[in-house]
Parts: sequence; structure tokens; C-alpha cells
Amino acid sequence: MSVRVQIALGIVFVVAAIPKIADPPAFAHMIYNYRLVPGGVINAMALVLPWVELAAGIGLILGVWKREAAIVAGLLLLVFLVAIGVNLARGHAVDCGCFDVRSAGKSRDELLSEMRWVLIRDVGLLLLVAQVLAATGPPRWHRASS
Amino acid sequence: MARGSNFARVVALIVLGAGAAALSNLAASTQRKLAWVGSYPRALEVGAPAAAAVPTPAAQVAPAPPSPTAAQSTAESRPANPVPGSTASAPAALAAFEPDLAKAFPPHPDKAAVEISPDSALLLHRRKALFLDARRSSVYAEGHIPGARSFPVWESDIDARVKAIYEEGIDQRAPIVIYCSGGNCEDSHMLAEKLYMVGFDNVLIYKDGFPDWQKRRHPVATGANP
Repeated sequence: MSVRVQIALGIVFVVAAIPKIADPPAFAHMIYNYRLVPGGVINAMALVLPWVELAAGIGLILGVWKREAAIVAGLLLLVFLVAIGVNLARGHAVDCGCFDVRSAGKSRDELLSEMRWVLIRDVGLLLLVAQVLAATGPPRWHRASS
Repeated sequence: MARGSNFARVVALIVLGAGAAALSNLAASTQRKLAWVGSYPRALEVGAPAAAAVPTPAAQVAPAPPSPTAAQSTAESRPANPVPGSTASAPAALAAFEPDLAKAFPPHPDKAAVEISPDSALLLHRRKALFLDARRSSVYAEGHIPGARSFPVWESDIDARVKAIYEEGIDQRAPIVIYCSGGNCEDSHMLAEKLYMVGFDNVLIYKDGFPDWQKRRHPVATGANP
């Protein structure tokens, strides 16, 4: 069960990373639309974040550094949850940019409704991350010898 | 056998991602490349400048000037002499532009841009005003207003394009119409601020943008050229 969850989670992250890697300016535009990141940091974030997402996804799929990959995936999901949650709370409708970095031209109400679903979906994914972490044992925050 | 800690591996994954991003950006085409440090003055401002387009009868020879209420104020003030050696804003240059249009759409050196109605945009297009398309170059190629030049504000060569248009010696007080995808699209405003900062005083934003142009069944050009 845990391995299947891990692979499914990995696939989600790889699929989400590919369009962002393919078009960094479009993803930068998406980040800009969230109005949460200082202007000077937007481009760097748009360049690096998808590759980190991809690395985490591949780690989960291949089972390489799976615990660490799950931690990175969890951290990314937390960032996404905060970004969506803050904008929902202040009524600022944005395209999620999660799996598609081209603006879909939706209305404000459609976007807000979609953001609620994204929030629920990301909480679900975070639970899957927790499941992977639980199955891979407690963290080793210090170098240990065997 | 020694095993790396979780923390070190988490950091390693992030560094791996950053390294891959750097390589990918190095190899990317102009359309895909990004400068590592962006310049987006309004990045933390919530809420687009929400000014209604001012309807202007296209049939009028000298339409009413755009309403000052539709003006977008600039986030930062422009330097007194934005580009050293600027001569293009001399009054003689303005006179070269059609006088009635110059009267209907006067320069507005106190603000980056003024939003105009679809009818005003059509009028200016018929009178051969310069149109700039702020959308991505790939979207521009799929369809754009005939004669409009591609100025994709999110692509890495935008500053070079702005510099080039400045160096063409275009009349900086003549109307320049910018459009993007309408709705909440802010690309036009971002481009307007870039043009304003190099000295263009009469940037007009066709707020409803290309979707409105298409809806009104005006002519459309395709491909990478105007």
C-alpha cells in the first residue's frame, strides 16, 4: 500500500513539474499573480521550484531517498497550501498554476471555486505524504553509523 | 556503514533542483529563458488597476480624450531625464503626428498609461498608430492585431526590445496602444511602465485586449511578424 501511495505521489509531482519546466516565464507569471512573493525573487522561484518538484517526484517513484523526497514534497505542498489559502482568505482569485501554466481565462467565481478544490486536494496529498513518512520510520536528523 | 542524515539529503535535493534549473535556463531559448532576478514593482500589490474603458465613437474625427479617471498611476516616478540624450519628445516631433489624433489623445507625462475604449483602439488602428502586443510570443503568433509588434513582457528580451524601440527614434509623445488578453491581464500595464520609464509619454492601454478585438470581428494577423 505504502509503495503504491509513494509512486502515485511521485507521479503527481512529476506531472505537475513538467509544464512549469517547459515554460518558466509562464510559471513566473503564475507566481506573480499570487501577489505573495517579492518581485526580485519571482524568477528564481519559477526556475528552481519545478526542478525541486521533479527531483522529489522522481525520488518517490524510484524509491531513492524516498523519505527525503517525501519531506520535500510535504514542504512544497505546505507552500502551495499557504499561497492558495491566503489568496482565498483575501478574495484574490488566481489561476492555480498547479498542472497548467497557461491562464485558462476563467471568471473570478470559477477561479475561487477551483481554489477551494485545490486546497482540499493539497490537504489530501499532504495526508499521502504523511502516510509515506509514517511507513519509512522516524527521521534521522544526525549522521548515524551502523 | 555511515548514512546521510535526512536534513543533508533534503538540502541535496534542493541543490540538485537549483543546479538543474541553472543548466536548463542556460540552454533555454529566448522565449523560455528568465533573468534570475526579476523586476516586478507591483508584485505584492493585490488588485489590478480597475478602470472602466471609456467608450469613444469611432466615427468621430476627433474623439474625446480618454477620461482622466481611467488613468493608472505609476508605482514609481520616472527619472527627470529617463534616457540620456533623449530628443524624441521635442514638440516638433509631436507635430509630425496627425494633429487631430494628437489633440484627442494628448501625452500624459504624469502617468504611465491611460486606458482606452475598444472604439478608440479601432480608430487608432485605422489611423496607423503603433500597436504593441504584450502577450507571449507564442500566443502572438497564433493571432494578433495586424501591424502590432510583439513585446512579450514576460520574456527575457523585453528590455532589449524596449531599448530598441527607443533607439528607433519613435515620437515619444505620439499614441502607442498596448494590449494583452483583456480581463485581469496586467501585461499591458507592466509594459506601459517599462515604456514610461524610458520616456514614452502617451501609452494607451486597450484594456479589453485581443479577445475583444476578435469578438468584434476585426481583422487578425497570424505568425511571428506584424
